[in-house]
Amino acid sequence: MVQNRNKLIDLFIGNAANSIVHKVLEIAIENSEIANKYNKELITSRDLAKKYREKINPKDSPLIERDIEYIKSRIINKIRAELLLRISNGYKNINLNLIDGFVDNFLKEMKIN
Amino acid sequence: MVELIARISKGSKMDQVYLPKNRSGFEIGSYIVIKPLGTERIIEKPYFYNIKDIEPVKAQMINEIFRIIDKNIQDYENAILTGSFLDRGFNFNDIDILLVSKNKVKINDLINKLEKFTGIKIHIIILDNKTLINGLETDPLYIMMLSKCISKKRLIYKIKYKIDYKLLDLELLKSKLLIDNFDYLDGNEKYYFVRNIIAIYLFIQNKKISKEIVDKKIVKIFNLKGIDDLKKNKLDKVDFLKKYKSFYQQLFNLILKGIKNGSK
Repeated sequence: MVQNRNKLIDLFIGNAANSIVHKVLEIAIENSEIANKYNKELITSRDLAKKYREKINPKDSPLIERDIEYIKSRIINKIRAELLLRISNGYKNINLNLIDGFVDNFLKEMKIN
Repeated sequence: MVELIARISKGSKMDQVYLPKNRSGFEIGSYIVIKPLGTERIIEKPYFYNIKDIEPVKAQMINEIFRIIDKNIQDYENAILTGSFLDRGFNFNDIDILLVSKNKVKINDLINKLEKFTGIKIHIIILDNKTLINGLETDPLYIMMLSKCISKKRLIYKIKYKIDYKLLDLELLKSKLLIDNFDYLDGNEKYYFVRNIIAIYLFIQNKKISKEIVDKKIVKIFNLKGIDDLKKNKLDKVDFLKKYKSFYQQLFNLILKGIKNGSK
């Protein structure tokens, strides 16, 4: 399958956002201990994001500033949309202030910035 | 040597000794010696849950696994074998073991010994009884996992589902990945995402959950010829994704409604 760079970046963004939404919700429910005990078969969004990152050039060094900004803002927007949907439905204890820090860490970990 | 302890029961014309179907060795047609037990030690028999039959070689391995655990771990409450190892055939990657213990257990040495004996990757989850019960009450994957298992000691749990919509939201979120990543996932990866979503659905409906029930439901909901259509990645992408997205959205709405109503 042909995997063009833009498509790979899109997939990376989707999986990164899912991974961080998951992290924010884990903190919100304060009861993720049991949720993660037996899901070893499920491939995680973090694994998938990493897989796509490894196919995006440059693989071993940060991307150019314009790409970083684009990826970061799209991830943040996706996360906010997911979380705000829940908040508007009465989901309490979701801390939106966590998003920026989590995104920065994730992008560093994935060698995006 | 494989030993079994059984009791002689009274028959009409002849008395008899019944052998359990799930046993290692003692194949039909083989000759055996019967002798009184006397003062010989009693060998513990594991408890089989929803396993109709198992290959003799696996049954023998299971006995030895329990023996190795017993020898190497002090003070644990139970050991439970589960996962694809218990399915018919040899299409499994590892052996899943749940070690129930209230104490911290060092398992590296145990894993090495078990892997050396079996030649198969060993995956051990350690948890205390309270966490196990909590998992069985709130987590569909736990229920599915323990719907088919072999346990060293009898499992006595009266489980009533406790629906925690926030926890289910977190679990459901994982299955969202199938939509965006469809082209990049293999059949088994897709299967686990779909299995997850169906288990959540059955849980919310307060229905019984087992791997077989979930597989049947998948085939029905997504109109497949069989579960292998999914596992072997032979899906009609457009048709499947249309159904999957719709099913996901309905389930997500149901969960959001549950969160909104403040149910836990």
